[in-house]
Amino acid sequence: MEEDEVIHGDFYLLAKSYFDCREYRRAAHVLRDQTGNKSVFLRCYALYLAGEKRKEEEMIELEGPLGKSDAVNRELVSLERELSSLCKNGMIDPFGLYLYGLVLKEKGNENLARKVLVESVNSYPWNWSAWSELQSLCTTVDILNGLNLSNHWMKEFFLASVYQELRMHNESLSKYENLQGTFTFSNYIQAQIAKARYSLREFEQVEVIFEDLLRNDPYRVEDMDTYSNVLYTKECFSALSYLAHRVIMTDKYRPESCCIIGNYYSLKGQHEKSVIYFRRALKLNKNYLSAWTLMGHEYVEMKNTPAAVDAYRRAVDINPRDYRAWYGLGQAYEMMGMPHYALHYFRKSVFFQPIDSRLWIAMAQCYESEQLHMLEEAIKCYKRAANCNDTEAIALHRLAKLHRELGYPEEAAFYYRKDLERMEAEEREGPNIVEALMFLATHYKAQKRFEEAEVYCTRLLDYTGPERETAKSLLRGMRMAQSSFPSMDVEHFHP
Amino acid sequence: MAGVLKAPGAFAITPHKVSVCVLVQIYASPSQISIPFPFSSVSQHNRLGLYLLALTKSCDDILEPKLEQLISQLREIGGLLDHWLTDHLTSRLSSLSSPDDLFNFFNDMRGVLGGPDSGVMEDDQVILDPNSNLGMFLRRCILAFNLLTFEGICHLLTNIGIYCKEAISSCSSYELRRLDDSDIEVFADPKSEHNDKGRESSSYSSSGDLLRDVDLNGGVFLRTNWQIQGYLMEQADAIEKDGSSFTLNAFELTLRQLQKLAPELHRVHFLRYLNSLYHDDYFSALENLHRYFDYSAGTEGFDFVPPAGCNSFGRYEIALLCLGMMHFHFGHPKQALEVLTEAVRVSQQHSNDTCLAYTLAAICNLLSEIGFSTTSGILGSPFSPMTSVGTSLSVQQQLFVLLKGSLKRAESLKLKQLVAANHLAMAKFNLTHVQRPLLSFGPKTSMKLRTCPVTVCKELRLGYHLISEFCCEGSTMTTDGAFSTAWLKNLQKPVGSLVLSQDNSSRDNSNPFLFCTQPSSIPGSVLQLVGSSYLHRATAWEIYGSAPLARVNALVYATCVADASSSSDAALVHVKLIQHLAVFKGYEEAFSALKIAEEKFLSVSKSRILILKLQLLHERALHRGHLKLAQQVCDELGVLASSVTAVDMELKIEASLRHARTLLAAKQFSQAAAVAHSLFCMCYKFNLQVESATVLLLLAEIHLKSGNAVVGLPHALASLSYCQSFNLDLLRASATLTLAELWLSLGSNHTKTALTLIHGAFPMILGHGGLELCARAYIAEAKCYLSDPSFSVSDNPEVVLDPLRQASDELHVLEYHELAAEGFYLMAIVFDKLGQLEKREEAAASFKNHIMALENPQDGEDPLSNA
Repeated sequence: MEEDEVIHGDFYLLAKSYFDCREYRRAAHVLRDQTGNKSVFLRCYALYLAGEKRKEEEMIELEGPLGKSDAVNRELVSLERELSSLCKNGMIDPFGLYLYGLVLKEKGNENLARKVLVESVNSYPWNWSAWSELQSLCTTVDILNGLNLSNHWMKEFFLASVYQELRMHNESLSKYENLQGTFTFSNYIQAQIAKARYSLREFEQVEVIFEDLLRNDPYRVEDMDTYSNVLYTKECFSALSYLAHRVIMTDKYRPESCCIIGNYYSLKGQHEKSVIYFRRALKLNKNYLSAWTLMGHEYVEMKNTPAAVDAYRRAVDINPRDYRAWYGLGQAYEMMGMPHYALHYFRKSVFFQPIDSRLWIAMAQCYESEQLHMLEEAIKCYKRAANCNDTEAIALHRLAKLHRELGYPEEAAFYYRKDLERMEAEEREGPNIVEALMFLATHYKAQKRFEEAEVYCTRLLDYTGPERETAKSLLRGMRMAQSSFPSMDVEHFHP
Repeated sequence: MAGVLKAPGAFAITPHKVSVCVLVQIYASPSQISIPFPFSSVSQHNRLGLYLLALTKSCDDILEPKLEQLISQLREIGGLLDHWLTDHLTSRLSSLSSPDDLFNFFNDMRGVLGGPDSGVMEDDQVILDPNSNLGMFLRRCILAFNLLTFEGICHLLTNIGIYCKEAISSCSSYELRRLDDSDIEVFADPKSEHNDKGRESSSYSSSGDLLRDVDLNGGVFLRTNWQIQGYLMEQADAIEKDGSSFTLNAFELTLRQLQKLAPELHRVHFLRYLNSLYHDDYFSALENLHRYFDYSAGTEGFDFVPPAGCNSFGRYEIALLCLGMMHFHFGHPKQALEVLTEAVRVSQQHSNDTCLAYTLAAICNLLSEIGFSTTSGILGSPFSPMTSVGTSLSVQQQLFVLLKGSLKRAESLKLKQLVAANHLAMAKFNLTHVQRPLLSFGPKTSMKLRTCPVTVCKELRLGYHLISEFCCEGSTMTTDGAFSTAWLKNLQKPVGSLVLSQDNSSRDNSNPFLFCTQPSSIPGSVLQLVGSSYLHRATAWEIYGSAPLARVNALVYATCVADASSSSDAALVHVKLIQHLAVFKGYEEAFSALKIAEEKFLSVSKSRILILKLQLLHERALHRGHLKLAQQVCDELGVLASSVTAVDMELKIEASLRHARTLLAAKQFSQAAAVAHSLFCMCYKFNLQVESATVLLLLAEIHLKSGNAVVGLPHALASLSYCQSFNLDLLRASATLTLAELWLSLGSNHTKTALTLIHGAFPMILGHGGLELCARAYIAEAKCYLSDPSFSVSDNPEVVLDPLRQASDELHVLEYHELAAEGFYLMAIVFDKLGQLEKREEAAASFKNHIMALENPQDGEDPLSNA
């Protein structure tokens, strides 16, 4: 390559130094007459970044009364023209292709951008930036399958990451675990595994992974918002505050840091402060999805429903597949006494995440609400919830109760029995057990299946309260009926 | 950001506004003479003033005009001055080359304004009043400039540069963009050759194109918020008036651009909702409706929301109201009712009385439009304050109570338009329902079980009355802006075009009229209500059986309010007028009128015009004896109705009525009777009593034709009694005629009864009946005489011959072969008896012609070929 020539090498080095000092236009100017691939790339990339920087500044300068006027990177047009002609003449290297793909994507020409990026990663697979851009263009599985990627281990990283984005968490997890076999000490893979497991709601393991990760990589801020979510759900006050302190010391102006602090305040019940930090996170990154959703939750807590609705809506407009925000919208409207209106949002949320029992339960409760009272539909939703691993065991109990209320004793008995089995397996205690036993005892007695009825009655005797007495009298009644066959009315024999 | 409303009046300074400032400075340069320097006459000076006013107010677009557009408009108004004006403007703009120039420019602007102490000024001095429209505009510009940061001033300067440059080289920049596009195409081809491994290569340029069109290039600026809101309101009105005149994508593109330029202007989503609603895109409509209300919380845009009562909870009940109406529009009555019920509850909860009143009106509308056999379980608890009488009421009674309640609410809230609309709904209810006591127990006041035309009339009048004393409810935003828009649009027209177009052709007739009505203070929505009251009148008279009055009211509508009306209402009036033509003048005239109407309402989807066409075709096919065609048309009519139960009732009834009549004409009596019977059951179920009368009469006719006169009699009598209760005078006359025919067919000893009945009905039939009815009456009368043993033809031939001649004339127009043949047959018999053989042969020949025509139906023009 001609870069071997010393003088050109000097130009390049000078430009690179300017570039590293973030003096992009100066760097580009130095390389104005250089024709080598490396120089051309650096010049174009510097121009692109200069345009981006100016764009960011303009976004703030141009903020109008009705929102931001769309600031654009003014270098895109000339860059596209130059890169496309280079590309046409075959005088472009994989890095140039990457930049060209980036420019095309920004200009909205997604199909061509995808094609160019695929070419770039196929000829130089170690450029993760190119893979990342390609990933952002793979919004559906079909698009992903349509890509013509040559085999390389980088492709595995890419696929794992895309699967995660497409909510194919199990596929993603298995890819990462495979990769971990090769890259044993990679923090990145570890963090990704944690995130995948988080999406699968395996919080215990996630916590362990993150603890380990922080030991190896103590100044890490990336992905720590996920860790804070875990700590939040587990209500670990001090661990969360420790994490928040740590990231603040590392880098205060990172969206993740602000989000972690927001989570901490939320856990402490200080919702106003929490909102301040989520807002700060959003100021740093307007498209920070989980911050919008979490801020929505805070507004719900503060009973500022319109603000909550607004925040959730922004989240779903950024990513329509964000089922949490859809769910939040549904909840907000339900809170306002608009269950019918809320159903639209619950439907959306279960559409995007049909395996989450909580969503189905929320929807069922909406149907069950006093205003709608659509019990048949509620039953359908509870059935779905029961089928997808309902950890809080609400669905079975409600199913039993609803069937009983609607006058389907057989189905009610079925679900009470299942609920009972479940409670036994999990060694739960509580009024639900008594209720189930009570129903089953009376039900089997009415069915003249005395043996089963007796079993349940006997179990009831272990509990205190009025049920115990009822069980006793049931037992007595059954014994009477069995002994004095053909059965007679028991009441007559009592004094 | 979330939950925080932006101040609606925010105002940004742009190159275009700088231009307007320059022009204002010319208009109001401080001088001592009455006509400042460049102007040669007062009218020239005023014209510039009007133009500037229009520039700041018109709402015909979302974007500010470019410099070249401004210059070309200046040419229109400037007359001799145009060169001076444009030169001055461009040189002033191009002299702004540094931030300091801008500072000085806006300092100068201050001098144009009169100070607060300039109240005492000399008569001839021209000074801009700071509180005038232009003065305010100038002050806002100065204020906005003063609020700019230094960066903002730099942007303004750059933009002024682009603004001026574009005017000079507007075409060349276009060329550049084209070149840009072609580059990609050229690139794409060799690329796909390089690695064509089975991937599609042609699809790149498509998806990017749409975005690129929206893509911003420098000098694009939104108008002021006030103007954009005005524009959006006008567009909303226009869509609701005639949605099909909008192309879905073109408007969507504008909206997308607007959204890109002003992401916090949520009204855009509402317009999107309307756009997809009127293009029958359910999912997009639903999505956008939810999006709009999520963002705006119902506190943006709607005029009837009093700004003072704006609580922090949002007004999501309005969302429910809109959603309910959307479901209604798409023909989902059950969901609509559920949502509206929720709207009632939430409105009550948030004590939003206005929304409650509108919701109740919407529910009334829903209940009266769509057949509900029962509302139990739907109209539940939230209605209890309104329907405190209990839930044992029938749907109609509930509707009545709701209507009353809704009317009262609207009156107490002084929502005049709603009051008027409610009166109309009440009139409609009274027209088709007999009042019944609401209490099912306790002492009942005696009630005549009849509808009361006087009440209907009263309600219609009350509705109209309120409209005539209309005072402006809404903001003046649109009327003001619309005036300016109209003024600006008329710049392009040469003077005098107003006069010319009037006698030009009927097609352009609406234009000058539109221009005249624009500045009037009556908004389009009020005019629409006026129009709909005329429509109601026409329908009422139609039902009561007065053809001339029905026609007059339809004509009044067509001439006076057609321009302000929605396209579907206008189509309805045309339908009424054409139906009238068909009944009274025959098919030829009706079809030629239909052709005109078809052209006019070409774009209206699911059009009434199409239904009318099928009706006319069916009618004519029946008369001509073209039964296959009749059945085919009848089937097509049935397909047009929605498949959802109880939706499109009117159309469904029409279709099965026609089906029964086709079967009757084909002499398949038992099937015809079965269809008519099931139709009657449906009418009964949904309480459609006016329709029941018609169906009963049809049943009577079926039994008459099948020779079961005894079975037919009770049906005819039942129909008569329905007609009496509902004051359906014309239908009653028709039923009387059928009754007479039934008696007649029972034997010659009933001819006296039949004749009395016919003579009793004659005044009504001849006064208001159509051709067919009159002809039938004449023939029936002749038959009565002929079958009367005491009547002798030779003594008094004209008594029989005259009605027969009348009948044959009318039937000739209708091409009703079967009845015409019968007429000629009778005529031949009479002539035979009179011994006039020549005339007998003539009548017999005519008889034969009609029978032949009936048996070999052949159509010259295939009427369905252009369907």
